[in-house]
Amino acid sequence: MTARAPIALAVADFRERVRRPAYAVTLLAAVGLACLAVPDAGSHWVLMDVGGYRGVYTSAWIGTVTALAGALWLTMGGFYVVRDAIARDERTRVGHILAASPLRTSTYLIGKFLSNFLVLASMAGVLAVAAPLMQFARGESGTFDPIALLLPFALITLPPLVLTAAAAVLFETVPLLRGGVGNVVWFVVSMVLLMGGQTRNAPLGGIGVRQAAESMRTALVEQGIDVTDREFSLGLTSVTEPLRTFQWDGFIPDAAFLGGRLVLLAVGIAVALLPALWFGRFDPARGPGSGSAAVPSRPGKAREGDQDEILGDLPRGVRGEPGMGGPVGRPGLPVTMTAPVRGRAFWRLLAGELRVLLRGVSPWWWLVVAAVTVAGFATPEPATLLPLAWIWPVLIWSRLGTQRVEHGLEGLLGAYPTMRRGLLAEWAAGVALTVVTGIAPAVRMAATADWAGAGAWAGGALLVPALALALGVACRTHRVFQVVYLGLWYLAVNGVAALDYMGVVRSGGLPAGPSPLAVGGLALLLVCAALAVRTARHAVR
Amino acid sequence: MLELVDVSKVYKGGKRAVDGISMRLGAGLLGLLGPNGAGKSSLMRVAATVTRPTRGKVLFEGTDVVSRPDALRAALGYLPQDFGVYPHLTAREFLSYLAAVKGLSARSARVRVGELLELVNLTEAGRRPLGAYSGGMLRRVGIAQALLGDPRVLIVDEPTAGLDPEERVRFRTMLSDLAADRVVLLSTHIVSDIESVASDIAIVARGRLLRRGSPEELLREVDGQVWETVAGPSDAVAMRERYVISRMIRTAGGTRLRFLSPTPPGGDAVRVAPDLEDVYLAVINGPAARAVTR
Repeated sequence: MTARAPIALAVADFRERVRRPAYAVTLLAAVGLACLAVPDAGSHWVLMDVGGYRGVYTSAWIGTVTALAGALWLTMGGFYVVRDAIARDERTRVGHILAASPLRTSTYLIGKFLSNFLVLASMAGVLAVAAPLMQFARGESGTFDPIALLLPFALITLPPLVLTAAAAVLFETVPLLRGGVGNVVWFVVSMVLLMGGQTRNAPLGGIGVRQAAESMRTALVEQGIDVTDREFSLGLTSVTEPLRTFQWDGFIPDAAFLGGRLVLLAVGIAVALLPALWFGRFDPARGPGSGSAAVPSRPGKAREGDQDEILGDLPRGVRGEPGMGGPVGRPGLPVTMTAPVRGRAFWRLLAGELRVLLRGVSPWWWLVVAAVTVAGFATPEPATLLPLAWIWPVLIWSRLGTQRVEHGLEGLLGAYPTMRRGLLAEWAAGVALTVVTGIAPAVRMAATADWAGAGAWAGGALLVPALALALGVACRTHRVFQVVYLGLWYLAVNGVAALDYMGVVRSGGLPAGPSPLAVGGLALLLVCAALAVRTARHAVR
Repeated sequence: MLELVDVSKVYKGGKRAVDGISMRLGAGLLGLLGPNGAGKSSLMRVAATVTRPTRGKVLFEGTDVVSRPDALRAALGYLPQDFGVYPHLTAREFLSYLAAVKGLSARSARVRVGELLELVNLTEAGRRPLGAYSGGMLRRVGIAQALLGDPRVLIVDEPTAGLDPEERVRFRTMLSDLAADRVVLLSTHIVSDIESVASDIAIVARGRLLRRGSPEELLREVDGQVWETVAGPSDAVAMRERYVISRMIRTAGGTRLRFLSPTPPGGDAVRVAPDLEDVYLAVINGPAARAVTR
């Protein structure tokens, strides 16, 4: 394998990605992350809290904090940005051309891995560029030290991004992990990796938190600050008082830490190359495409032989002769045609949207819904199973608002009358799914006259599909809802009452979250937003 | 009934796909001919209210449908060149869903879907998921959905792509029948698709309308300019450089060439009756097209 092929592949793929408008959004998100990492001195929201203290905004502190924020958020969120490299080749059929070329599978995989890494590194690069700007903007230290500022990006941010880039390649080559299941799995895996990577005994130096934290602790002690019982926190948190400051001039990485970085790089390359053992080079008969590619969504995607397979069953008598006239109706047409009559269609629209949403869902999926429902009736505390009942349909909800894009129906439906009722029917289908999957806790709460809980449940039943619909219509992809909802659900389950849309966080036996009316109102707002976006798209054309 | 007034479409990046086209359409079939990239599909999308023109108006029975598209959409059947379907739905379910979108009553939708499936020869296959359909079968589903609302305006973009010869003939005949009392706008780059059915033909290239007329009018334009001869290998090469060749068949005696020349080419070339393919090539390679290119 020469270096030219994977590099050429990676550069072409990188160019294709960065020329899309969505890439600018990801860069803007990186800028936002840099602003978040270096908050105003009086801010009550902080990203890194060293027991009530933070470093003076020097190059070393800003570089390290921004690099840690990048490692944390780009590792998790960056996966969702880059995970489309191989699927896009399949979708655009470029993969079919590559498959027929002498390009080796390992070269292809390395090329995709490099492309993923380049995209993630460019986001880290934006962070690195924004960091000195933040230093000057905050104005606490006028001394600019480029090494202290940039070295943390090389040692802390980039190594985990290597793993993210490799995991994206791996997930795309495993049929089960290619779609929404992979998005959920990565959310869990990355949470485990990032939390584990912050522990004292994390292998290969973790994400570098321990080295930085120990150095900060030493600096605090040297400055006469008591470090007993002071906890180090990384992640967006709210503090009651703005953090006090101490002087910190960075940390010097030891050999073991540097060695760990190199091992992470090697592990990343190995993970990216691993799929060479099974990757089917876009052969529909094997490999990752064998499941979904068998179901073409566009005329050109049909499999060879399908026509014979289905037409073979057609009785020849069904085939009319050209121009054969029907007995009544429009003369000259091959069959009798009656004039269509307009009428009420909302319920049939709803039935159609339910079919579109749920057709193709595995019986096993329904079996789990049934099991959770039965468990919901059996468990002593009805609300305890609601989080499980309302995380299971996340992949189905994420279809809302995106199906016409995913299946290429926009061109066809663009000439149809404006679909306001259609969008409401789509939301209603989502609400129906939410109600069905969460029916057991609702019935139990109603039976025990827990009307506050039932109200919170009803708010959630309206909100979840509304959120899915709004994000689906606006972003035209499943992934945004999957990531946003998983985060929201995680926070609610972990007791963040302000975000508890289900009513599972209780205080004095009553839901501690926002009022059901507010949740319901937000749901209506989201539906209106979805309606506005779709109507505008339909009108602007 | 449908009128395009000085319609232009310029895409982001400055690509001018449609450039000041005006045409009035009444009942009958208008065949829109043009090479790939001529702007046919852009023009069809503008006419079908899918794309907003950069300049100009589209009027349907006097209403400007650029600002009020639903006026046309209620009476429109549109088959785009490229479209998708929900792969897990059957053809019957998919058409029923679209019938509901169009606002057809339940009974009417059921009857209409059944008739349309029969019309496009998918009655038996209509209960199978669309994901298992071939390209030609999906195209037929597309044709059926375009006819769901018994449209007064039918716009079909390259409708015969993927159809087998028998289905092509059948579909062309069906369009011809439908055009008896409605506007049918058919876009294609295959001359044979329209020569037997179109009462009106428009030829476009580089976004401009180069010619419009009945087949007879267009044929008259190249009457006396189409020739046939048999040439040896070296003469054939020279003639290809000199004339617009419309057909070339290798035979035992040499290469039989059919070509366009406004003046008698000399030699043993004989004048032959023109057909629409000759007209198309003459227009596409003629002075009007060259003026557009410049």
